[in-house]
Amino acid sequence: MKSGKIIRGIILLLAILLPASFYLIFQVAPSEKIMGDVQRIFYLHISLAMSAYLGFGLLFVSSILFLVKKTLYWDTLAFSAGEVGLLFSTLVLITGSLWARPVWNVWWTWDPRLVTMLILWFIYIGYFMLRKAIPERMKRARYSAIIGILGFLDVPVVRLATKWWRSIHPRLAREGGGLDPLMVKVMLFSLVTFLIFTSLLIYIRFRVAWAEERINEIFNDVEDYNG
Amino acid sequence: MLRLTDIGKTYGLRPVLKGVNARVEKGEIFVLFGHNGAGKTTLLKIAAGIMPPTKGKVEFPGNQDDRSRIFYLGHRNSLYGELTVLENIRFFLDIRNGKERTTNLRETLTDFGLWQRRNDPVKALSQGMKRRLALMKGLISGAGLFILDEPFSGLDIRWKDTLIERFMEIRKNGGSLLIATHLVHEGCRIADRIGLLENGAMAFLEERERAAEAIIQERLKNEICR
Amino acid sequence: MRFAGNTLAIVRKDILLEFRGKEALSIMIFLSLLLLVIFNLAVDIQSENVASLASGILWVVFAFSGILGMGKTSLSERDDGAYLNILFSTVSMESFYIAKVISNLIFLLLMEVFTILSFVILFNYERLIRTFPALAIPLLLGSLGFSIVGTLFSFLSTGSRFGEIILPFLFLPLVVPVLIGGVSATDIILNGSPGESPAKWLKVLVVFDLLYLFISLILFRHIVEE
Repeated sequence: MKSGKIIRGIILLLAILLPASFYLIFQVAPSEKIMGDVQRIFYLHISLAMSAYLGFGLLFVSSILFLVKKTLYWDTLAFSAGEVGLLFSTLVLITGSLWARPVWNVWWTWDPRLVTMLILWFIYIGYFMLRKAIPERMKRARYSAIIGILGFLDVPVVRLATKWWRSIHPRLAREGGGLDPLMVKVMLFSLVTFLIFTSLLIYIRFRVAWAEERINEIFNDVEDYNG
Repeated sequence: MLRLTDIGKTYGLRPVLKGVNARVEKGEIFVLFGHNGAGKTTLLKIAAGIMPPTKGKVEFPGNQDDRSRIFYLGHRNSLYGELTVLENIRFFLDIRNGKERTTNLRETLTDFGLWQRRNDPVKALSQGMKRRLALMKGLISGAGLFILDEPFSGLDIRWKDTLIERFMEIRKNGGSLLIATHLVHEGCRIADRIGLLENGAMAFLEERERAAEAIIQERLKNEICR
Repeated sequence: MRFAGNTLAIVRKDILLEFRGKEALSIMIFLSLLLLVIFNLAVDIQSENVASLASGILWVVFAFSGILGMGKTSLSERDDGAYLNILFSTVSMESFYIAKVISNLIFLLLMEVFTILSFVILFNYERLIRTFPALAIPLLLGSLGFSIVGTLFSFLSTGSRFGEIILPFLFLPLVVPVLIGGVSATDIILNGSPGESPAKWLKVLVVFDLLYLFISLILFRHIVEE
């Protein structure tokens, strides 16, 4: 199978990329002037955040496609991407908190970006709660697609509102003077690595979920045949 | 007027309909027989367009999205319990055909024994009265196609006769009716065409050839309506 | 014309239903009163802190009471399959949705006026009355946002199990911009320095309302089909 080979290739690639990006983050990237080594969590934090958005963005697009095409393929892709997105957004919230503690001396800061992520996290928890509550397969797909679309559209509005709401949020030192060029390179490397990793996870999750879906379908046909 | 082609429906793992064909022509009454759980209700919902079939096709003339020419009545009566009889009817007519009000409202209400109770809230009516109200709403709706699921349930003989009279009138005026019932006597009295659903398939209609249909209809009538 | 007439007919019917049953409004009003009392017990509202607490407390009460009440109004269509009347009529899904948004908006506004009056009486805070003309704008825009999302979600939740429990989980995170905008605008009107304007918060509300109204109009038909 061709796609199997590609996947194996990507897994091998990640086996190099992931340790490499950790090496770059912890060994190569320079230590930040004010925050010190703690700032290294930033590379992970940003990469995880982008990965979460990749998952939620894919959920959004697949939800639209489901409502247009009405085939469970898109619904399966939607919730697979959603699951991975939810996992990564949880990690974003945790790393954000770990970062905030030493740097700003608080466990949590109501920074617009963090609040947006937190609100999104709640929305997608709601998404999966709703899925559990609807036994009919097609209806579950339709209803959750609606949440998938509305939820993602909330991102820019929440972002705007929270930004104006707490206009004096803590600014990071890097924003004034700009990042060290080496920092930028490490950041990009880890970002790309994580995006590939996320895509792979979504794809594998989708393969499993889609197989389940197909098995159910075949089961139906057999039942049909036996009458 | 209504054409169902190769309708299939699966609930989860359970197939309910397995490739059902049926058609109802203008000015015709199609009576659908079948035991409880044979798939009558599912077929009617699919015909009315409120449930998508797993496979197959439903066609009626005109815009497929415009269902204002159809009157569908399921097991539930679709009445607002807090509103009175007249308020229910008024709202129903308001959103249906606007100006083309039927003037014989009083007569129809009297025929169905509801005139005296016209200002009572629906929740205060008996089950039989609610059913009669739900049915008579349809009769004055000016619809061209009626899809009725067990319309006789909860009615005693007197109202059944009134209802059957009205059905005949609608048929005479070119309306079509698709009626599901398990009452053989009433069904046979009004049917132009008969279908028998058994295990999700239209019994006696397995032969697809149109030419055979007349013979099949005869067989069905002999079989069911003897 | 058809659109406006149908929308109006449904709104009129909803108001009549609510006037008879008083289900949604009574839930909203009693809950808002209860929440005000609870808030007072929790944070001890005094004349020194009432000005800074008012906007936050009011909007939290609006959101919670609102979502519970809106859950009720869509139930009236599910009961007895009443929405089938609307499905088989000239009412477009868009006009059905708009009508429900308007009815819910009316109930929300009534509840909010009641809540504000209770707040004035319970906490002796008359500034709410004096600034009411200015408050009306964020109230209207915010409630419209609540209604746009709440209407859509209430239909979604009545179609699922444990709907009433899930509804706040879906509703509250999504209306965060409305809450922030509403609270901030109200706060500026109540406590702002003379030059300060709530305009930018009203803009957030307008953006939210327009965006979600547009999207909900497209998505609503996917909820109602069976």
